Amino acid sequence: MAALLIAENLAKHYKDVVALDDVSFEISEGITGILGENGAGKSTAIKIFLGLVQPTSGTAMILGENASESVGIRSRLGYMPEHDCLPTTVSAAEFLTHMAEVSGLPPKRARIRAADTLRHTGLFEERYRAMGGYSTGMKQRVKLAQALVHDPAIVFLDEPTAGLDPVGREEMLALIRKTHREFGISVLFSSHLMVDVERTCDRIIVLQGGQLVESGEVGDFTKETETVFIEVDANRERLVAALEQRGVHVTSDGGGLNIEGADESVYDEIRAALVDSEAPLRRMAPRRSELTDLFRRKAGAKSDNGETP
Amino acid sequence: MTNGNDADSIANGNDTGAGGVETLEGTVFDIGYQHYAGPREGRNRARIAVYKDGLRIALGLGRGGRAKILPWFFIGVAGVIGLVMALVAGAVNTYIGPDAVEQLNLPSHSDYYGIASIVFFVFAAVSAPEMLCPDRRDGVINLYLVRPLSGSDYVFARWFAFFTVMVVVAWFPQIILLFGLTMGSASPWDYFLENWADIPRLLASGTALAAYTTSLAMLVASFTTRRAYASVFLVGLFLITTPFTVGLAAELADEFDNTAGQWVSMFNLSNIPVHVNDLIFDDVSAVTEIAPAGLFAPSILISWYFLWTLGPAGILWMRYRKLTP
Repeated sequence: MAALLIAENLAKHYKDVVALDDVSFEISEGITGILGENGAGKSTAIKIFLGLVQPTSGTAMILGENASESVGIRSRLGYMPEHDCLPTTVSAAEFLTHMAEVSGLPPKRARIRAADTLRHTGLFEERYRAMGGYSTGMKQRVKLAQALVHDPAIVFLDEPTAGLDPVGREEMLALIRKTHREFGISVLFSSHLMVDVERTCDRIIVLQGGQLVESGEVGDFTKETETVFIEVDANRERLVAALEQRGVHVTSDGGGLNIEGADESVYDEIRAALVDSEAPLRRMAPRRSELTDLFRRKAGAKSDNGETP
Repeated sequence: MTNGNDADSIANGNDTGAGGVETLEGTVFDIGYQHYAGPREGRNRARIAVYKDGLRIALGLGRGGRAKILPWFFIGVAGVIGLVMALVAGAVNTYIGPDAVEQLNLPSHSDYYGIASIVFFVFAAVSAPEMLCPDRRDGVINLYLVRPLSGSDYVFARWFAFFTVMVVVAWFPQIILLFGLTMGSASPWDYFLENWADIPRLLASGTALAAYTTSLAMLVASFTTRRAYASVFLVGLFLITTPFTVGLAAELADEFDNTAGQWVSMFNLSNIPVHVNDLIFDDVSAVTEIAPAGLFAPSILISWYFLWTLGPAGILWMRYRKLTP
């Protein structure tokens, strides 16, 4: 699969602050998440690819062109910023038509595309209302719609679920998945909410302190581990003692227990321990890694090296 | 949504109803998301779109009633001044005599911008900030700059849009006045033949006034996200410099020599384009008649005008050019 974006030894320094430090990665079609804490370099990387910031060194190639040299390539890119970017006195239909024209579409086609995009993002009924009266969820949809109105090859979403309630967040994540799976537009999705990235993205890039710490398929980071997670309603301590008596290694995980075991024999040991300890079982499942674990590991590694996580 | 049968009914064409009356059927198909396969006109289309949007903003078009009040009020006032001057000239020609307008030295094209310049300055102070401030306040500028448009493209398109509006607003009353003077004359054709040179003069003078006002107003607007702050500052700049410089120039002329007073008078920002108007028409307006700056050589007055027009335009450009690498 051809790479849409290529970062080669990309670095950006703001005087003494290193925002990106010799970062290299490639992004191909699909939904890719850029994960990282505040100040990790996510926004800087996106701004470099959008041509808003010149890298200190290295190159950022987008759709085969150098991002900082080609203004024209931006007609094939979409961007949904994190912060407010909508005029309050204008209707969504008028705003999207204008944004499509600014992306290079002729006026008549811009009007058609604006109406179509508003329909696909669920705002068709509200399209003639001034955007000042929209709810946060509707504003997020318009922000996404303006990024898609000119049918870009790739769209950059900066914290698209910020400020949304749980229902709005679910809807936005569904819309992001639809953007790639139905519209065929690749997505680069920056977030610090790991759950959102885990549920939406195909691949991730993890940045920390301006450096690339991990990249790969989300499935690789969230695959089943050799650990079984169980929760019981009572007699937790008796269960732990019974397991340890059988030589099974147990660690506490919130309200539950993680039980390590390389093969399926561990389930026999758990069953026997549950019977002995008379602990009523509530839940038992093979444990999956979460992206949070990745950050825990990285933070732990930093602490071991004497760095502040 | 529909199924294959609906599609078939369309393919089969019209159906004949029970009474033998032909009925037409329509079916709406959801064909899902369609990729855009039309032309992409790139940077030029983007510039034109920002320019067109600027025209609409300046005149309040496509906005609510409140957005239209101020621009159209000032356009109306500027037009009324031209209309009144035309009516007075027509009445004088009719009731006193054919050459009475010239004998009485009634205000004409050369005097118009001197008389109405304050209206243009207030119009610019009120409308120009609307071209730049909301885009920065609402964050829309971030969306422009990730499209095939540089910071320079954006600011030039906005500048040119407001300049266009200012030119039209400056020419419109002069054209009313020209029409009034021509038609009010005993012999319109003879009047036209004698005064046709006023047409390029009024066009040039209106353009000069528009360029100066646009540059200064847009520069001030680029320093704030609040339209009100920019408007108040601009009104103050245009209105306060007049009494201040007139008074100080007179004091200096009395105390020292006239050159110092002349230079102070040059800082009367309302008069800068009117001096150019005087040079274009080779006449002195009522407002510049008493201004010591008028005694300077034409080259100094023209250079001063260009400094105050190209200078702010250049600083404005530099400020927006920095937004994209």
